[in-house]
Amino acid sequence: MIPFVAFSLKRAWQGFWRNSLMSLAATATMIFMLLLLSGFWIVQSGLTAGLQYVEQKVQVVAYMQETATQPQVDAALAQVNAMPDVKSAEYVSKDEALVRFRESLAARNQPDLTGSLDSNPLPASIEVYLVNPSQFASVVAVLQAAPGVDRVENIQQLVERVTTVTTVIRTAGIVILILVGFTVFFIIVNTIRLAVTSRAEEIEIMRLVGASDAFIRWPFIFEGALVGLLGAIVTLGILALIAAPLSSLMMGFFSVLPLEFGSLVRDVAVLVLGTGLGLGVVGSYVSVRSYLIR
Amino acid sequence: MTLAPDRPGRFGLRDRLGRRSADGSTPAAVYGAVRPVIVFRDVEMTYPGGKVALRDVDLTIREGEFVFLVGPSGAGKSTLLRLLIRDEVATNGQVLVDGVDLARLRRREVPRVRRRIGTIFQDFKLLPSRPVWDNVAFALEVTGAPRKTIAPAVDRVLALVGLTAQARQQPAQLSGGEQQRTAIARALVHDPRLIIADEPTGNLDPLISWEIIQLLLRINELGVTVIMATHDAEVVTALRRRVVALEDGRVVRDELGAAYHRED
Ligand SMILES: Nc1ncnc2c1ncn2[C@@H]1O[C@H](COP(=O)(O)OP(=O)(O)OP(=O)(O)O)[C@@H](O)[C@H]1O
Ligand SMILES: [Mg+2]
Repeated sequence: MIPFVAFSLKRAWQGFWRNSLMSLAATATMIFMLLLLSGFWIVQSGLTAGLQYVEQKVQVVAYMQETATQPQVDAALAQVNAMPDVKSAEYVSKDEALVRFRESLAARNQPDLTGSLDSNPLPASIEVYLVNPSQFASVVAVLQAAPGVDRVENIQQLVERVTTVTTVIRTAGIVILILVGFTVFFIIVNTIRLAVTSRAEEIEIMRLVGASDAFIRWPFIFEGALVGLLGAIVTLGILALIAAPLSSLMMGFFSVLPLEFGSLVRDVAVLVLGTGLGLGVVGSYVSVRSYLIR
Repeated sequence: MTLAPDRPGRFGLRDRLGRRSADGSTPAAVYGAVRPVIVFRDVEMTYPGGKVALRDVDLTIREGEFVFLVGPSGAGKSTLLRLLIRDEVATNGQVLVDGVDLARLRRREVPRVRRRIGTIFQDFKLLPSRPVWDNVAFALEVTGAPRKTIAPAVDRVLALVGLTAQARQQPAQLSGGEQQRTAIARALVHDPRLIIADEPTGNLDPLISWEIIQLLLRINELGVTVIMATHDAEVVTALRRRVVALEDGRVVRDELGAAYHRED
């Protein structure tokens, strides 16, 4: 077993360099395709995170009665926080509401006339952020029934508009990614098939002298894996080189998104290595198979 | 041109027959007792697409024989040889090699059978980027031969075909005859009991052809059965061996000590 693996690895290595032109062409194709795939993957991840960000901006706001007591507020907060669809809930007191209002006026450069008021007209409120905005109805129901709540803002139309847009964009992103995935799959498998075909003569001789299928197949599979691994490593190297300038460029944008750079890097590394190795092996396997089945 | 075939005994280290008469044929009584290496029973071969390449072929070839397979282009010579290495499987009838029915063979047993048969082709089928020595060693490497046995075996067959001095040359640096001798060395390296040659001299000029035939005769003297398809009338007629003639997929003549063309 070990001699056989050693033999196959050695022959794979020799095969790669003996037909270096073909092997390097296959590796170059592999690199282009992996770059294409990871590029689309990164864009798709950013898009998904962006949509999530937009969705999380959707909030249910319940305005409290003037007479609401602190225990009533605490009870309502505890009740919504216990719901699985709720991401977070926050109490905004009358004073905080006034501060926010003043800040927003200042941000828009409008004159602040609130100083002339003798009392604070703004109500206290509970703001609830949702995991999934389309689940707002149950939260609204709970808040409406809670003692101390005056009224709950109607956000039905807003939610419907946001979820329609995000669903369309999300679906389009997935469809495009799948199309790119298929393209990458066929181009890589066909390139490897071409590399194997250029050695049909060698396979034919092996069959004639009585080589078993395993002795013919495994060197090619290892060679495909070598092309995949080399392609993946070079691809990751290129991505690492352009990652720093690219991320500093997008930092302002990315930092507001619920996207962890570390997990994105890990996902892309797994994607590139897995796709490279997997398609290298699968491509060789199916290509050699067509010569062995006879 | 005439050629005196090598006499038995000169290279007959492993000649199982041993009692051949001077003309190379074998007395009938002895012949009947020798083990059949190849048996065709009522073989029909139809290619996918409907072309019938062989029909009603009955043929027995015994150990140590040298058989010429002749006939016009398209008669089915290559098809018959391909059946022997199970490159194709007969659509009807039986093909037995060393008593093994090739149609019954399981896929994974095929390589083992092929290792007992040496094959030689018109186009040599050498790996162009590897020297002579490596081309011969290749046959052992890809069949999992123990590493230590490879070098002595390769050196031995290269000596047998007279290519020891050319061992490190690339095929492109060799003459056609030397390339074919490389292919013969590769065919011999598994120590086969049977050599199948499909027009081995088809690409060579007459003088070189004789060289190759001489070599095959010598291998035959070592006890290896040889079956060779050829269009070379001069060689066949001069050697007076067994001749099997095919025409349109049928065996139309099977004679010992015969010429290329019918002689009656
Ligand atoms: N793979 C194939 N598929 C279909 N038909 C084939 C195939 N190989 C050969 N044939 C047909 O079978 C017949 C016999 O072919 P074969 O190659 O055995 O002839 P041959 O006697 O070797 O001829 P040649 O002297 O030209 O080499 C021919 O009519 C040929 O066209
Ligand atoms: Mg032929």
